[in-house]
Amino acid sequence: MSQKSTLLNRLRGALIPWLLPVAILAAWEIAARVGWLSSRILPEPFAVLKAGVALAATGELWQHVKVSSLRALTGFAIGGGLGLLLGLLTGSFRKVEIALDTTLQMIRNIPPLALIPLVILWFGIDEMAKLFLISLGVFFSVYINTFHGIRSVDPALIEMGRSYGLTGWSLYREVILPGALASILVGVRYALGFMWVILIVAETISAQAGIGYMTMNAREFLQTDVVLLGILLYAVLGKLADVAARLLERHWLKWNNSYSAA
Amino acid sequence: MQIDHRELNEVRSAQGKEKVQAPGLSIGVRQLIKRFGERQVLHGLDLDIAAGEFIAIVGRSGCGKSTLLRLLAGLDTASSGGILLDGQPAEVLKDDVRMMFQDARLLPWRTVIQNIAIGLDGSQREIRERALEVLGQVGLADRADEWPSRLSGGQRQRVALARALIHRPRLLLLDEPLGALDALTRIEMQRLIESIWKQHRFTALLVTHDVSEAVALGDRIVLVEDGRITLDEAVALARPREHGEALFAQRESRVLKRLMTVEAINNRNQIRGRISEIVVDSVLSEVRILTASGLVTSTVLTRSLSEQPLEIGAEVLATFKSNEVVLAT
Repeated sequence: MSQKSTLLNRLRGALIPWLLPVAILAAWEIAARVGWLSSRILPEPFAVLKAGVALAATGELWQHVKVSSLRALTGFAIGGGLGLLLGLLTGSFRKVEIALDTTLQMIRNIPPLALIPLVILWFGIDEMAKLFLISLGVFFSVYINTFHGIRSVDPALIEMGRSYGLTGWSLYREVILPGALASILVGVRYALGFMWVILIVAETISAQAGIGYMTMNAREFLQTDVVLLGILLYAVLGKLADVAARLLERHWLKWNNSYSAA
Repeated sequence: MQIDHRELNEVRSAQGKEKVQAPGLSIGVRQLIKRFGERQVLHGLDLDIAAGEFIAIVGRSGCGKSTLLRLLAGLDTASSGGILLDGQPAEVLKDDVRMMFQDARLLPWRTVIQNIAIGLDGSQREIRERALEVLGQVGLADRADEWPSRLSGGQRQRVALARALIHRPRLLLLDEPLGALDALTRIEMQRLIESIWKQHRFTALLVTHDVSEAVALGDRIVLVEDGRITLDEAVALARPREHGEALFAQRESRVLKRLMTVEAINNRNQIRGRISEIVVDSVLSEVRILTASGLVTSTVLTRSLSEQPLEIGAEVLATFKSNEVVLAT
């Protein structure tokens, strides 16, 4: 009896957040069908779905998603990797901090998107330009959070580690890195979000493939349903990246009460 | 003495890591001085401790007792003077010294057993076996694979104790490890530390601000005041010592009184006077003291008033913090 009711409660808990989106979708569908909304401005959800199915069937959709994801992840790997490396170095060694941090902080204050004209001049409108922008956008949130994470490791724990014979790499592996991990992951999560933003802008400038190319192409032919599909795809991919980051947090920070699964 | 140690070490290595315990370290502290910038914390402190002794160091906060412990642990370096462990410079035997801190300082991202194994080399299986053994000694064998965040304060300190014990220390330094625990847990932990000390025979140095804890555990009670040792006396009571016993209470109040007298020698921020009136309220009570320079009112917790009763007409010393003094013209 009680088990049944808790199951019902959980089901209800899982369903309630979806009520509003479903209602909005339904209202939108009806409005489009009745003719209050012109399909040139906003096609009905069902048409978006149909466009998606059609593009998926020809394989075109997957091709674009693949190109975009690869682009985003490569940029993330380069920028995030560099950010992690430099963050670890500046966080751990005062000398490196003194030598590098001021320069990096100056560059940080330039919005990466403001560099677009320059980037086009440097790299043309090729793949390189997009990777550069994404790397740059991702770099700083990983860098700053890594630096901050290393610096905010509890000095009492480091002292304890030292007095128990940990030195050099073992101290790093046992105490400093795990202590900084929560902060590093915050940086990664933020970077993943920003990665998609930059990707969208970079792809709409110019591209020969990818979700951005697909939507810009569709705009020229007034295929609003495909444009909308592209926007939705960005949303889904962004959400997926966030879920992945959250799973990492849960796995790596399971010792921390605020991250462990309820 | 030297020969004895060598023989013992041979026995130890012959039996591998069998249960032969390393005997305690003897300590010689000579003219120890420690400055932090302008401020001098230790003023040429001398202290001799025999191997296997349990020393309790008491004193007001800021008197330098924790600094002494940190110097012994090698966490800070002395400005001048020296520390000899078993007649050798302290650095030589650094690995035989382990410290228990005021807070447990467990790594939150390691399980209980991984925390205990920190800094140990050897095969995983052997380490786990030894860790489980020391966990058993502190009564937490069943919590081996939990995260420290799931443990209570007392349990965390038990784990910290196990972490120190697994290294088979010859000198265990305890820096107010029980200060944050409730009274009952504290007494439990005192019993545990005492029984483990009896079993392992290491030298133990306990810093505490709790005189009754010092009387319960110390072979000797050392009072540190303003960076110097002002009292050093043996406690010849049989163990285990009961907090309620008359001899215990007598010793405790003597040390307490001594602590107070030493305070009285310091003539800063104090006014001597006679109690003229006590106004008792439910939480805070007021004690009015008639001094040579007029009436002084002191607010006291009613609870502490009932623990240490005052009488009208008694001569007392009112002290006040320097940061509470306002000079008006």
